[in-house]
Amino acid sequence: MSAPLYPSGTVRALLATDLVTDATRAALQARLDAPVHEPVFFEPHTYALFQTVAARLIPQPDRAEPIDVVGGVDKRLAEGKADGWRYDAMPPDREAYRLGLGGINQAAEALFQHPFVALSESQQDAVLEAVAAGTAPGENWQQLPVGRFFEEMLAELTENYYAHPLAQEEIGYVGMADVPGWTHIQPNSLEPREPEEVK
Amino acid sequence: MPDEEVLEEGVLNPIKTEIQDPLLQAILEENGTSLTAPTELEQPAPVPNPTEEVDCVVIGTGAGGAPLLARLAMAGLKVVALEAGPRRNPITDYATDEKAQSFLFWNDERLSAGKNPVAFGNNNSGTGVGGSTLHYTAYTPRAQDDDLHLHRDFGVGVDWPFGIDELEPYYTELEQFLGISGPTPYPWSGPRSKGYPLAPLPLNGAALLMQQACAQLGIQTSPAANAALSARYYQAGIGWREACTNRGFCQAGCNVGAKASMDVTFLPLAEAHGAEIRADAFVTEIERDEKGRITAVVYEQHGQTVRQRCRHLFLCAGAVETPRLLLLNELALTSGQVGKHFMAHPGMQVWGTFSEDMRPYKGIPGGLISEDTHRPKDADFVGGYLLQSIGVMPVTFASQMARGRKLWGQQLRDYMRNYNHVSGINILGDCLPHESNFLELADEKDARGLPKPRLHFTAQENEQRMNAHSEKLMRDIWTAAGATDLWSFERYAHVIGTARMGLSGDDAVVNPDGRAFDVPNLYICDNSVFPSALSVNPALTIMALSLRTADKFLAAQARLDGNN
Repeated sequence: MSAPLYPSGTVRALLATDLVTDATRAALQARLDAPVHEPVFFEPHTYALFQTVAARLIPQPDRAEPIDVVGGVDKRLAEGKADGWRYDAMPPDREAYRLGLGGINQAAEALFQHPFVALSESQQDAVLEAVAAGTAPGENWQQLPVGRFFEEMLAELTENYYAHPLAQEEIGYVGMADVPGWTHIQPNSLEPREPEEVK
Repeated sequence: MPDEEVLEEGVLNPIKTEIQDPLLQAILEENGTSLTAPTELEQPAPVPNPTEEVDCVVIGTGAGGAPLLARLAMAGLKVVALEAGPRRNPITDYATDEKAQSFLFWNDERLSAGKNPVAFGNNNSGTGVGGSTLHYTAYTPRAQDDDLHLHRDFGVGVDWPFGIDELEPYYTELEQFLGISGPTPYPWSGPRSKGYPLAPLPLNGAALLMQQACAQLGIQTSPAANAALSARYYQAGIGWREACTNRGFCQAGCNVGAKASMDVTFLPLAEAHGAEIRADAFVTEIERDEKGRITAVVYEQHGQTVRQRCRHLFLCAGAVETPRLLLLNELALTSGQVGKHFMAHPGMQVWGTFSEDMRPYKGIPGGLISEDTHRPKDADFVGGYLLQSIGVMPVTFASQMARGRKLWGQQLRDYMRNYNHVSGINILGDCLPHESNFLELADEKDARGLPKPRLHFTAQENEQRMNAHSEKLMRDIWTAAGATDLWSFERYAHVIGTARMGLSGDDAVVNPDGRAFDVPNLYICDNSVFPSALSVNPALTIMALSLRTADKFLAAQARLDGNN
């Protein structure tokens, strides 16, 4: 079965209706309307490196304006917010990101003799595969468990992506239309406000 | 960094982390980034000593604290509840959005160690008036009698100091009061004095497909019992509550009040009877007199430090913050059991892709249950588990898929486009206490300057065998249902143990009534006192213990009064 496609504009259209509570609309609309994030925590070179890494982990060649998955990390680290837990084997989040992104650059230099941002996409993917597999070279990995760092970074970027209304349009999610209840909850049974797959 | 005292970043007190790595330090200095040392906490001003003494202070307003708070208030006692989190209005404040609801979670950092580090935050730890019930999934199966007797039946673990007959009346009372929706008769869990007050909630896609597949395989299923109203319900002392809208958002906060979280059930009842609930009140110290009796609790609220004097203390802060407070205050430690025997339920999940349009965001997430696996005949492990169908919201699903399945790049986006076609089943299984699983205070400090809790958890042989048994069975069920692209996610949910209940102060922290053996006016009531983990979701049993603890306390007070 090939993965389904959904029409675009579905969530944005719902947000303009009274099918969505004010609290829900405010949360989603703020993400749609967010201005371009200027880094606060990361210095510009590190931020550019992080954006390049994120573009390979969650590639968006289909979007003229990619959903920003990195800005939220910068904002969180600048504000000093945590998500309730951390692997004991990992240093605090700020240090983990600094060490981990530095380690990705070290791996790029060791494998391809150039910084990560200067590599081709396939070379970048090879570096990230080594990071994901826990085999990436680089002295920073002496202080940071490489596999755990990859998992934490991927999970956070993924969460930021699928929290965005445009990504939710992409997967046909309209659970935010929460004012009326749901009555058609059986398989293959849709409410009028649920988008059908594009055949 | 075991030797460094690092003040962790926190919501209230953001600070810069000290950098340990010399290479990184050099890079940062080159870039002109300053390396700020942790800020020192200011010396606190002396705490004013109020004259007022209340009968009872209850720390925590979740499933452990709220029922007993109501009971004590209804008995005419002057009671104050201290809740670390804020008070919210679900109707106006709860967006149907996973990120926007992160304020419901206990987001102060906990350190997870061991071979199977347990996730916290949005996994089983809540904050706010209502505690973790604000985001529990409202599963409310009863424990069975043999759940309380693993040692009797298998020779491992420890038994509860009483049988299910002690809990049954409270289960019944809770089901009636909270308006639990479920089938009557319910196929498992032994004799019960009353059926569920409301009919089961409707089955969603995952529940219906699991039902059909289990029927093919000869596994009995039933609509589950859920603490969400299948019809409008009149709740004694509170009034009408509205029915569930099948919004599927139970793992986060319910914005219609259909889910029986404590903020719409026991807490308003408690307040109607004079209980006072203080939100944003983070307890830091428990004070005692020279005889060892607790005299007062010190907490921080809105930047102020406040002391509340009390005659009795009920510690109901959950199986992480309860032992943490005991350890911080060197309280109730004579048994050596505080922080020990931490248990976490195996929560193995199996996900599959279906040709049917499933829409996993609709309906109660845990619609269908089977307890046929309570004591499986072919088990190579102790205890048992139950099976539940599961619904899921997209961010949670994507996040655990990234962690568990490790897809990234185009593969990740391609897989996630199947979100509307995925369905899951999971288990909730017993966990044996083991000495290598425990909570301790770390050297690393939180934003308040208090040591962070570190939890060690490694799935032992019994948990591993249970995982393997259940994974195979769930794969068989989903295969029979026509699923493709199956994958499993090994996870651990619920925090249990760390201040166990027992018959003797030599090996338990509290007695069968919930009173600490070595502190005469301290009661503990939450999942920390569970001697064993149970093969069911814990919330209903925590509430039952809470009511029982209150009744035992009140009976003891009455006896004392009679002696006067």
